[in-house]
Amino acid sequence: MSIVTDIILAFSWIFIVFGMIAVFKFKNMYSRILAATTIDTVASLLMLIALFFTVDNFKFIIRIILLILFLFITNPISSHVIIRSAFITGIPVSTGGEKNE
Amino acid sequence: MTFILISLIILGVAMLISFIRLLIGPTIWDRILMLNLVSIKVIMFVVLLAIYQNNLLLLDIALTYGIIGFLTMTLLSKFIMTGGREK
Repeated sequence: MSIVTDIILAFSWIFIVFGMIAVFKFKNMYSRILAATTIDTVASLLMLIALFFTVDNFKFIIRIILLILFLFITNPISSHVIIRSAFITGIPVSTGGEKNE
Repeated sequence: MTFILISLIILGVAMLISFIRLLIGPTIWDRILMLNLVSIKVIMFVVLLAIYQNNLLLLDIALTYGIIGFLTMTLLSKFIMTGGREK
């Protein structure tokens, strides 16, 4: 168990806590989606990279590399699909303040 | 190994908070978004558990869960966009 793993895991805790605060704080839906998905993608990538330093078996390493590539590709696609569906189907983008939900 | 255990506890609490937000979300896209967040956190939880127990098969389960979660998000939002309107 190296010291690098502990440091990067502590950084990922900070991102997870900020993501959970941002979900409850914003009133507009698009800012909520932006904050939640971006912060959660960074937290998951940091946590997988932190686990990359503590394993020594080759089978673990190749599966963790596959998971990093998969999450890095499909996580922004998923949030983009949700935002596109919400924009086409009904919710207008608020320009002024945070009045309309 | 204590840092991995604390990470498991934090991920469990974050999943619980996301599930509360899923229950009280005003629109249906909020609920889809929170389901996406819970899916990502389940993947991270399973990977941490696989490293903690030194078990190789749990990583395959995490990969499969990631594929199923991505397909669920894409098909569900496409179904809502074309067919079932909320209002």
